[in-house]
Amino acid sequence: MKWARRNSPWLLHFNTGACNGCDIEVVSLLTPRYDVERFGAKLEPSPRHADVLIVTGPVTRQCAPRLKMIYEQMPSPKFVVAVGACSCSGGIFQDCYNISGHLDQIIPVDVYVPGCPPKPEAILQGIAKLLEKLKG
Amino acid sequence: MGQFDKAVELLKNNLANSIVELKVPRSRKAYVFLKPEKHRDAISLLLKQVEDTIISTITGTDLGNEIELNYHMICGGTVTLKIRVPKIKPVTKSICDLISGANLYEREVYDLLGVTFEGHPNMERLLLPESWPKGNYPLRRDWKAPENQEDIFVSEEAPKPKSVSGASESLVNVIVGPQHPVLHEPERFSFTLDGERVVDVDARLGYVHRGIEKAAETMMYFQDVYLVERICGICNAAHTTVFCQAVEDIANVETPPRAQYYRTIIHELNRIHSHLLLLGVAGHLLGFESLFQHVWRDREPVMDIVERITGNRLMSGFNTIGGVRRDIAPSTIEKTLKTLKDVRKRADFYKKVFEEDATLRMRTEGVGVLSRKDALKLCVVGPVLRASGVASDVRKDDPYAAYGEIPFNVISYNECDTWARLMVRADEVLESINIVEYALDNLPEGKIRVRVQRKIPEGEAVSRVEAPRGELIHYVKSDGSAYPYRVKVRAPTLANLMAFPDAIKGGFVADIPSVMGSLDPCFSCTDRMAFIQLNSDQKWHWSLDEVNNQKKQEGAYLVGT
Ligand code: SF4
Repeated sequence: MKWARRNSPWLLHFNTGACNGCDIEVVSLLTPRYDVERFGAKLEPSPRHADVLIVTGPVTRQCAPRLKMIYEQMPSPKFVVAVGACSCSGGIFQDCYNISGHLDQIIPVDVYVPGCPPKPEAILQGIAKLLEKLKG
Repeated sequence: MGQFDKAVELLKNNLANSIVELKVPRSRKAYVFLKPEKHRDAISLLLKQVEDTIISTITGTDLGNEIELNYHMICGGTVTLKIRVPKIKPVTKSICDLISGANLYEREVYDLLGVTFEGHPNMERLLLPESWPKGNYPLRRDWKAPENQEDIFVSEEAPKPKSVSGASESLVNVIVGPQHPVLHEPERFSFTLDGERVVDVDARLGYVHRGIEKAAETMMYFQDVYLVERICGICNAAHTTVFCQAVEDIANVETPPRAQYYRTIIHELNRIHSHLLLLGVAGHLLGFESLFQHVWRDREPVMDIVERITGNRLMSGFNTIGGVRRDIAPSTIEKTLKTLKDVRKRADFYKKVFEEDATLRMRTEGVGVLSRKDALKLCVVGPVLRASGVASDVRKDDPYAAYGEIPFNVISYNECDTWARLMVRADEVLESINIVEYALDNLPEGKIRVRVQRKIPEGEAVSRVEAPRGELIHYVKSDGSAYPYRVKVRAPTLANLMAFPDAIKGGFVADIPSVMGSLDPCFSCTDRMAFIQLNSDQKWHWSLDEVNNQKKQEGAYLVGT
């Protein structure tokens, strides 16, 4: 199990109010130049199958219950990567009225990738760090 | 006489009694202050007498005791019609019966400012969560977020399927969203299906509503540039350009020509990468996975140029009020021209793929048709409008930055279907490459920015640009301080979204992703659906991919042919 998780983590991406900048960079990971699949990772549409949740954006009020729902649907053990300044700290939107707080106030976070948006290389590194953590 | 002058003359001659004030501070920009409730007369006059008039958006501004409504009409330029309603009883007549494109804009004003539009077909929340307390209108100046934030943070009820008149046993309600893992942003759509056919669609927006317009009021103009940049990561240069233009207009500053050219260049690079992105996504949605990978690989060099010029791949931070922040080094110019040569080769190739590939054409031709007439009635913008045979482009109709001096063609197709919408983009990539090359070859000498005071004099301005997805409009009002009084943003997706029900109604389930994709919404289609059988209330979940697979197995994948 552990071996499989380490060598083939399935990723689920959820946008909780991001401006698209981070999302595009996450999608870029799939494409030939960055190719996240060489880590055995795969972007997976269903929370039921995913090991790692990649969250982008500050958490809007409307998304917060959904985010919890998705997190609860994922099988344990599960891991969360916060991508971008917004999900790490709320970023530029932290004081907006429709924001219900940053990511780690709502669900536990394992890896933070700062940047606005972080470069795909940085997100890759974040995922690699997580895999290292899983090894240990 | 141009359309714009005709519109202004018409208003002057026919509605002299209803007009309180009429100003034309700049070419192609008019502000008409009307007596209460006279907006309907003015709008129907424009719609009847001036060809191709559309409404861009409605801005509501809280003025203290009154709420001002600005109807931004587009007819060769922007004609802003203003009326005021008292804040204690903010009611006015809806204009949806005159122009159906106003539907979502009226709902937005209702949601955020509490103005009721009498006669609106569906006066309901658009952006705020269902749990938002009644009587709280965040865009009113005196509104403050409640101390105890948890009060308004109640979990949202599960969406109820809307029953359709004449519902037969076979009608199924499908809810898509808001979570969908592959692309873009969360939104929820509720489709009503009769077997394979789509009968109706209802959209629920606001999952990414962050309250940027309110936040903009609490930051200084110079800070706001970075805020509006983060409205959308893809077309960020369009947002900063349009915001800076509006502020420069109020402050009456002329941006130096070199800065105008730089803005154009970065704006077009944005368009190139955004269109390539969409063409790739279209490949993915049509099940043509290798096309997606190829296009995105070829998009990377464009990102490299942007990074080299501005220091970042996406958020450029390049524009500022009064000009741009960096000069472009000669070596970078050389590199850019060289890269663009390669990109052009690839773009030519992809255009050919979309033109000649039999499967692609079968999946997209005649699918999601939006007629010219409907497109105008619904006020769609950008490539969607141009694919319905209307050659309208802000860059040509109302030139800004350096577009007045650069030769380029406006692409339009008459097929009105998904294929045409993709082709418009394929062609525009090539056109944009021409523009960047021309601009780099003809860069004027001189300064790249002028200093602008922190405090912006009193005034207001509407500014428009052609973002990759269509016309983007900002309205800025200043009260003479360093902080804007009101910033209003209408992004192209909101306009184009209204076309989705029309384009998909009567179509097949399997075509939902591609039609949605061809509108290039900033929140693309969704991957998880809940199917609700109306008669038994049973629910189950499918991903959109699973739906596609089902279709494949049934051999019905190439529907619509
Ligand atoms: S961190 Fe930056 S790029 Fe990412 S969602 Fe937030 S504003 Fe957009």
